[in-house]
Amino acid sequence: MYNLLIKELKLGVNPFFYALPFLTGALMLIPGWLYFLVILYFCFITIPNMFAGYKTQNDLIFSSMMPVTKKDIVKAKIGVIVILELLHIVIAMLYGILTLKLYPHMKYFFFAPTLGFWGLCFVMLAIFNIIFISIYYKTAYKYGAAAFVSITATMLFAGGAEWLSIQNSYFYDLFKGSGTDNVAVHLSILIAGIVIFAIFTMIAYYIANKRFEKVEI
Amino acid sequence: MLALDIKHLNKKYEHFELNNVSFQLEQGYIMGFIGANGAGKTTTIKAILDLIRADSGEIRILGKNMSENEIELKQVIGSAFGDMNFYTRNKIKTLTNVIKRFYANWDDETYYKYLRKFNLIEDKKIAELSTGMKVKYSLAIALSHGAKLLILDEPTSGLDPIARDNLLDIFRELVQDGEISILFSTHITSDLEKCADYITYIHNGQIINSGEKEQFIDTYRLLNGKKDQLDIVKNQLISYKTSSFGFTGLIHTKDLDPSLDIQWTIPNIEEIMIYCSRKEDLYV
Repeated sequence: MYNLLIKELKLGVNPFFYALPFLTGALMLIPGWLYFLVILYFCFITIPNMFAGYKTQNDLIFSSMMPVTKKDIVKAKIGVIVILELLHIVIAMLYGILTLKLYPHMKYFFFAPTLGFWGLCFVMLAIFNIIFISIYYKTAYKYGAAAFVSITATMLFAGGAEWLSIQNSYFYDLFKGSGTDNVAVHLSILIAGIVIFAIFTMIAYYIANKRFEKVEI
Repeated sequence: MLALDIKHLNKKYEHFELNNVSFQLEQGYIMGFIGANGAGKTTTIKAILDLIRADSGEIRILGKNMSENEIELKQVIGSAFGDMNFYTRNKIKTLTNVIKRFYANWDDETYYKYLRKFNLIEDKKIAELSTGMKVKYSLAIALSHGAKLLILDEPTSGLDPIARDNLLDIFRELVQDGEISILFSTHITSDLEKCADYITYIHNGQIINSGEKEQFIDTYRLLNGKKDQLDIVKNQLISYKTSSFGFTGLIHTKDLDPSLDIQWTIPNIEEIMIYCSRKEDLYV
């Protein structure tokens, strides 16, 4: 598994995608912007490009010819997705801290980069993973439909969450009102988000594994 | 010991099937796996490498069952697909550094020895290599991780005659010590005449014949007869062609009646392939 992960990181992922989180993360500096987009760029740009690379470089056959199990192939691929997702979130979080320092009295219409917001981002990526990974492994090379459906779902989640935080007084208060300073609640949302992310990704692994077993290369 | 033992392999697709494919390759020998395009060579090779799951049948490599010992056996198999490239924009060096991690018996010394022997430059990108060089790179990788069985899908297709001859010489050299065995598919019959010890001929997903090269050729006779002689042997012929002078047809040696006054010759592999494939057309 470790060797496959190294293969993914050295061959599968273009170095540009390690730099991209620093560029997309910088968008956090736009005051009061729709910050879900910062993480969504990972789904819009990194995923389709990366998987197009796998397809054109015959990665599936390359990996399958190595002395590895099919399970490990799936595990490594999901591993690299998770690493990149974490990279995007952590770097965006750091920029987020800077944003809060830069504009301390900002009145937010969309979500502010609070801990709770990052929890929601984890949930968004959880939804992305479970849909994208499980559809992709029906064939292990067609990524178009998987990306389309999963990106639509993540956008609906982001849109729904933004709408709720504007329309619903409880959520408004929690994210933009007096609740913003309630670190305990926000930290709980973040932890819950991380837990959901972990569970959904594990379910995605389980489904992908079952599907990939049946894939003929 | 058998390097490769395939028994009753079946795999059904919507428009094609591998039907009861069986053949054996002794350790230390080269087997040419021939057949027309679409005959099932690559499908068989993919089944051997467990890239596709066979519906039934057994594949044993170096005495061990492939599906039960896949990971262990892949350590001693070297494979290459002549028409397929991986990570072509990467340098040889980068690709090797990734690949070598997977193999427990990787030997850098052997690797560099073969790089020098094959004139491969580590800083070149895969895309910059000629077709022949790419095959040589695959061989260098396989030999550096101590592969005992090389499974090569059309390694000579797309090579010029000189590069092909050079590669076939390398094949012969590799099996000299009796440890390495090679199965290589091809549709270029002169490759087999030059270097194969065994020949397996597949047509429409079925093995037509598999055996030692001389024996394989000796199974058949090519008849050259007059038109009026055709009716006498027609039913025994695998297939035939007629011309204004008479007919030419392939027959199993055992079906040839020596008392008949028909000229015969020993066919070459290409003729065997052509006439065996015509058999099907005749019955359509």
